[in-house]
Amino acid sequence: MHHGALPAPPSIPTTSDSGYQPPTGGALDEIFAADGAPRDHARRLASELAALGPEALVDAGQRRDAIFVQQGITFDATGKDGPVRDRPFPLDLVPRILTSDDWSHLEAGLRQRIVALNRFIDDVYHEREIIRAGIVPWQLVVSRSHFARAAAGVRPPGGVYCHVSGCDLVRDGDGTWRVLEDNVRTPSGISYVLENRVAMTRLLPQLFQHYRVRPVDHYPQLLAAALRSVAPSSEEEATVVVWTPGSLNSAYFEHAFLARQMGVELVEASDLVVRDDVLYMRTTDGLRRVHAVYRRLDDDFVDPLEFRPDSLLGVPGLVRAYRAGNVAIANALGTGVADDKAIYHYVPDMIRFYLSEEPILANVQTYLMSDPQLRDMALGRKHELVFKPTNESGGKGVCIGPRSTTAELERVEAVIRSNPDEWIAQELVNLSTVPTAGPDGRLSPRHVDLRPFAVFGENLQIIPGGLTRVAMVEGSMIVNSSQGGGSKDTWVLERSASTASDAEVEGQRLPAPPMPQLRYGSEWHNQQQQQQQVAAVTPPSAAAAATGDEAR
Amino acid sequence: MLSRIAQELFWLGRNIARAEHTARMLDGVFQASLQSNSDGFGSGSVQLGWRSILAIMGADAGGDVEREEVMRRMTIDRHEPASVISCVARARESARTVRDVISAEMWEALNTTNLRLADPAVEHNLSELGPYLFFQLVKERSALFWGLNSRTMLRDEARAFLVAGGRFESADMVLRMLRVTLPAPGQEFTDAESRATGLLDGQAQALLQAVGGFQAFRRAVPSPPQAGPVARFLLYERSYPDSVAASVDAVQQALTDADRDPRRSDPVLRLARLGADLEFRGRVAIDRASISETCELVQRELMLVDADIATRYFVGSTMPAGTVHA
Repeated sequence: MHHGALPAPPSIPTTSDSGYQPPTGGALDEIFAADGAPRDHARRLASELAALGPEALVDAGQRRDAIFVQQGITFDATGKDGPVRDRPFPLDLVPRILTSDDWSHLEAGLRQRIVALNRFIDDVYHEREIIRAGIVPWQLVVSRSHFARAAAGVRPPGGVYCHVSGCDLVRDGDGTWRVLEDNVRTPSGISYVLENRVAMTRLLPQLFQHYRVRPVDHYPQLLAAALRSVAPSSEEEATVVVWTPGSLNSAYFEHAFLARQMGVELVEASDLVVRDDVLYMRTTDGLRRVHAVYRRLDDDFVDPLEFRPDSLLGVPGLVRAYRAGNVAIANALGTGVADDKAIYHYVPDMIRFYLSEEPILANVQTYLMSDPQLRDMALGRKHELVFKPTNESGGKGVCIGPRSTTAELERVEAVIRSNPDEWIAQELVNLSTVPTAGPDGRLSPRHVDLRPFAVFGENLQIIPGGLTRVAMVEGSMIVNSSQGGGSKDTWVLERSASTASDAEVEGQRLPAPPMPQLRYGSEWHNQQQQQQQVAAVTPPSAAAAATGDEAR
Repeated sequence: MLSRIAQELFWLGRNIARAEHTARMLDGVFQASLQSNSDGFGSGSVQLGWRSILAIMGADAGGDVEREEVMRRMTIDRHEPASVISCVARARESARTVRDVISAEMWEALNTTNLRLADPAVEHNLSELGPYLFFQLVKERSALFWGLNSRTMLRDEARAFLVAGGRFESADMVLRMLRVTLPAPGQEFTDAESRATGLLDGQAQALLQAVGGFQAFRRAVPSPPQAGPVARFLLYERSYPDSVAASVDAVQQALTDADRDPRRSDPVLRLARLGADLEFRGRVAIDRASISETCELVQRELMLVDADIATRYFVGSTMPAGTVHA
């Protein structure tokens, strides 16, 4: 059987059994084909879900919310009545499955893309070859709000800038994967990938029994190793910290999660101080040198002496320490220039220019509003296209033509015409759907995207799967969790070669050494134990050696 | 105090600690078993196997080992003496015998635990909802028992025997897990050594997760959770409360408190020597052969301590105090 799925059971539930209505309007459903039968790799999942039924899903959902609230796996969102604090993280209980073939394709495409983005960042702060070759206009690069002059001429260890990246991928109506956005500043969500998996194994272990799902829990170790590998410390063990803007930040849970999992300090700006171009943290033992900082705040805030002078979150002198090569910052200063929707347009060209390869993953068709002709064309089709500000994240300011009123579109048009450099237009992608449990436990299709996470240290590694975000409202394509989106556990299946049965896997294990049997109280448990008791009273010479008798 | 009561208290502590460790171990193995084993840091992250669980508990694996079967047998099977439910039932019987000695709140907490596990819904939930709720219940009730112990029980001899039993069992369980997880070289299957190393690293990490020590390890040790550092940590790291060294210290301390003449007490002296030996061993480099050897030797030594404890405190000294057995 391919895709790592075991043979399907005799009776295969189709959508007609459950009342599941596949999406209309040309979107692809990843579990059920158009004829209502589950796709090959999803048959076992479909039958397990059918066996569970809506009541069991509702019940598991209640246990999920209780566990998440107890463990404090929550986040803050903006609701109709203002901010909502401490919502349990919305994990949908139906997992999303990526076959090993899908994943190999995505992994190769992401690898290529991230390497090219990293080369681009290095290039624009040094030789500017891509500018001189006439591929990306210099004017566009320097006008990006995240272009950092402070980063010019500084090459971090190994030439790595985006140590952590998370590209957003979507799947078109014909099944083609496309990149929607490149997040190379401080992409968040990895903690939910790990917590979702733990929650799923606890809540619905039966869903896993027919699949061999690749684990995700080694991410913190990869990150810690990557940070240590770029830290400028030759003699001592590198000290790594996670830098959070503070406990009021909406992603604070993730900051604390990563610090805990990596076993490093979680610091705020007031804990850090620069002396003679060296970064230290204030500890009860006095100042302690810090070699690498995984920072979870934007360039603008890191150093009031170089960036925003009004930043209270920053550490004065940090950029000097960075430029002096005394501290590694991840992601490096200035990476934001590659995390811009206008620059995104040029990524396929970057891949061709730096790597001499054809892009494996396509972009969504994008029009720069700075170009007058394209602007007029796009605004003429404003009811069909999506308009996005270039330097925002989290879905802020996005205007989806077909779902907006004419009045809203006209307002956006006026904004775009007054400041065209800061806007792009994109063709609408009909995001794929995955069955998702509603409040009554019934399944209906909901649109999803995917954010895989990559760690770039000595080499580039991508965690299998990533964060699948799901729009919880029917027909909606807004998946951002800050706007009420949910998430799914994302399974990447192993290649079929390793779908060994439990018994086969057991056979490969190490044989256990002979072990004394357990005692259960005052009496030795059986005769074998009596023999061991005798042996214990006259121990072999090895036991004496253990305690140094022979030496004394 | 009465020898009989001291012995009940010692075994009360042991059975509660064994129930908790078994639950943690099963939880770790179960979660890891749901995912594949090809990824991970280094060359491979794998789980402890179900056969290993039986080996750790000294039970006979027999033929094929099925996840569901091991799970049921080690959690709710009353005919399996090593099951969690049997441990709790024995602990409850001990507590009933000594309920005048332990605090009323401790007795009530343990009795309630036993009643909750006897609820027919437990078996149903275990098969329908998965084992998480079961393990969570056992871990929480165990923590409640020990918390009430330190909060409400007089710090007298009785408490010393109870704590000695709990910590003795912790040391024994961790040693059993270490020995099965990281066997001596030459015992592994015949594949390439590099593959075996990856396998061991994965097993070491699974063990660390299972005993609940992953976070403590990450804070205490800068190196990645590979077999060598994990074994060192679980054997020697005195600042980690569930390490073998910390448990040995705690048993020694408890018995020193309880003994009228600790300087002439075989178990106390033996534990002191073992503690010092662990300290010395912790200072030298460790390889797989020495991990395995150390675990085995410590385990043997603890069996001698167990016999010494029984002789000195429980059977009414038939031998003159101070007799050297080893």
